[in-house]
Amino acid sequence: MGSAVRSSTNVVPLRSEQDSDVTKRVAIVDGALSCIAAKGLRATTVDDVARASGMSRATLYRTIPGGRDAIIQATVETEVARFFSSLAVAMGAASTLEAALVAGITTSASWISDSAALSTLLEIEPWVVMRHISFGQMDRALALAADFTGPFFGRWLEPEQAARAADWAVRIVTSYLANPSDTIDLTDGAQVRSLVRQFVLPGVQALQESKGS
Amino acid sequence: MGQVPDTREQITAAGYACIARFGPTRTSVEDVAQAAGVSRATMYRYFPGGRSELIDAVVTWEYRRFFLALYEALRGAETLEEVMERGLMVAHRAIEDHEVLQMILTTEPEILEPAFSAEGQPTRELVAEFLAPYLERHALRPGIEVAAAADFLARMLLSYMGAPGRWDLDDPVQVAQLVEVELLSGIVPAPSGGR
Repeated sequence: MGSAVRSSTNVVPLRSEQDSDVTKRVAIVDGALSCIAAKGLRATTVDDVARASGMSRATLYRTIPGGRDAIIQATVETEVARFFSSLAVAMGAASTLEAALVAGITTSASWISDSAALSTLLEIEPWVVMRHISFGQMDRALALAADFTGPFFGRWLEPEQAARAADWAVRIVTSYLANPSDTIDLTDGAQVRSLVRQFVLPGVQALQESKGS
Repeated sequence: MGQVPDTREQITAAGYACIARFGPTRTSVEDVAQAAGVSRATMYRYFPGGRSELIDAVVTWEYRRFFLALYEALRGAETLEEVMERGLMVAHRAIEDHEVLQMILTTEPEILEPAFSAEGQPTRELVAEFLAPYLERHALRPGIEVAAAADFLARMLLSYMGAPGRWDLDDPVQVAQLVEVELLSGIVPAPSGGR
């Protein structure tokens, strides 16, 4: 691994990276992501991940015990955590319900379209992704997303309505993910704002009023 | 020539029966040929791609039956509200009660891929085309375009019928609220006093 020897590196980490299991874990996850981006999930082996993350199989097994399944699991969990933290930043900065809905939708859509691993999966093994947003499985995705984003909408809505608003935003994102549109780009804030203003906000508000009365 | 569609249909129906009985994983070309009463050679004449082509054909066939039954159930629905409410309830129940679909979802959901479009046209477009005339006949809020509203409603109906989330789609009161308050508030003018 010639590239690992970089004598010109002038930034010395405060603590040797070798010492940190967290750092190793992140390296493995990022290695796995690059493998998935390159050739999909099915074709990705533990050896590929070891090579991509620049560590031995032994170190890899020590850091994430449980083999390939555990590595995939760790990768998914890390990516979900990264996704929700970017969502929290965007939604936390919103100052109106409309802005929170728009931020939630555009941030999710951008995160999805920026993920090289997801793009590859959607192209060559779509069911790896689709099965989580289809039929009954979708209910779990909805519950997870509503638990996470509900409190953000809770600044303007009763908890029950906040959860419904979250639920609705997830349906929009997953619908356009499963079924891209020629006319609407969910990463475009202006387009999403007009979608939200026209179709979503009136329903969220009417539901809140009908429940409140 | 007149026989061609019949044999194909017969094999497809037998394929469905086998999948229902053995599950998609354990259904072989031989099982289907036997159930359809045709030889392996005949089987491959109609489905040169073998097992995977046959399974695609079965899924497409059942998908079409599902939508034909849905259209039949919606016959006579007059308003946009009625067609959406009845459609959601019927489709949701049909999905939940579809034992073969539910089995496939837990075993090999990837075989359903061809069902998400019919002859290349996404299901969403079919549903939107179905809704458009109802929107055209309905009073709409200013600035609402039929095509955009139909597309949005089709997306949401498809999402809810497969995964109802917080709504009980067996309860007509909740379904009416979902459709008339949540989904249509932005699209149609507020009704002048309840349903």
